[in-house]
Amino acid sequence: MTTPLLIILSGQLLLGLTAGFVMHRADFCMAGIFRDLFLFRRRTMLYALILLVLALMPLYELTRLLGLTNYPFALFGPPSYANLLGGLLFGVGMVLAGGCVVGSLYRLGGGSSLAATAVLGLILGSLLYVELDAWWGGIAKTLSFATAAITLPQLLGVPPWLPVLVSLALLTPLVAHWWRQGLLQVAFGPEGHIQPWHAALLLAGVAAVSTVLAGIPLGVTTSYAKLAGYLMLPFAPEHTASLGFFQRQGFNMIHPLFGIRLTGGGGPRLDSIALIQFPLMAGLVAGGALSALRLGELRVYFNAPLRQYLSALCGGVVMGLASRLAPACNIWHLTGGLPVLALQSILFVAGLVPGAWLGARLLTRLILKI
Amino acid sequence: MAMTEMQELVFDLRGRICPSTLLVAMKEMNGHRQELQERAVQLRLLVENRDATVTIPEMARNMGYAVSLNKVEQHYEITISATA
Repeated sequence: MTTPLLIILSGQLLLGLTAGFVMHRADFCMAGIFRDLFLFRRRTMLYALILLVLALMPLYELTRLLGLTNYPFALFGPPSYANLLGGLLFGVGMVLAGGCVVGSLYRLGGGSSLAATAVLGLILGSLLYVELDAWWGGIAKTLSFATAAITLPQLLGVPPWLPVLVSLALLTPLVAHWWRQGLLQVAFGPEGHIQPWHAALLLAGVAAVSTVLAGIPLGVTTSYAKLAGYLMLPFAPEHTASLGFFQRQGFNMIHPLFGIRLTGGGGPRLDSIALIQFPLMAGLVAGGALSALRLGELRVYFNAPLRQYLSALCGGVVMGLASRLAPACNIWHLTGGLPVLALQSILFVAGLVPGAWLGARLLTRLILKI
Repeated sequence: MAMTEMQELVFDLRGRICPSTLLVAMKEMNGHRQELQERAVQLRLLVENRDATVTIPEMARNMGYAVSLNKVEQHYEITISATA
């Protein structure tokens, strides 16, 4: 393995470890942010998420101006109604699962058997999509918008820094107001707790460094599909090899920092996607575990009602499916696409919010019955 | 749930899916509002979910109750009672 590849692998592991640790300490749960907004009108974590996105805007603009990242990032494409639909389904899934694709990983590290169930669901959902890929591919073509623009600045024909500057000018006073009102922190917290605003800034730093190091923003869902491929391989090797989704090499870019070509796809192969995402996933689990261990809180409980395990499994399946339909997940769009105003990400978030509302209603009425 | 000699209602909510801990806490705070206000009972909730140690005390305080949060071995105990 060459030095740049080793740097990417070890860097992603370390960044995943940091993110998992911080997320566990702050319980920075993306699913909870949107769910609790509708269930309890709780906005503290939403404000922290807005701070995270806002902090990433100038960071990404700086890395672009310094030539450290591509513009737009690789793997982003023109918008489609599929982004909206994918976001909607993803929102339902993450609330039913009790955590998103990243939240389930750090909680799994912390010993949550429900999170482990959600991760299993994510792999099964990805497996389901792989079988539906050919059918969905035909439909997806009809859902595209008539534009080649990938970001809002491209659509408007303005330089990328302009909307970033406008967003900062509009939102910074608002965040400053929340800060003065004490709305970016919480009054109670467990041992070792990290305040939401502090976690948001730490995670913004992790996301920016990871994007420079890996060449693409934080994301893990393609690797859930890879894990599904590895799961299928021993049982149906010929069928697995014949599937179009596993054959495609959608990722192909020259790394801006290292100048090397990175290629990969969703198939069960140790390609560049695996190099970037597998260490990140392992780091997130290890970070959650390390945090829980140091606090003496690592203990596995299996006492949740069966209905809650079924909810975690079904939510995971819906998220796994949605993350391929969308394509990609909440972390990719919220900490990668939204700060550069990628049109796919704006549509994904526009779907995610009502999806979380719908998920919250389903969770309380069908699963918790409260 | 178990009724102790101290008129304390204990709920073991460890290992539950988010946000069922907070929803159960709210349900019990509302269901025992009168007893809580009359100081006939206090609620003790056992949780392991770190989010619940933030949201339940926050909600209880907003509803006008006194709250204490203590770590006990690998989990947390939240006690909710009438304010002094």
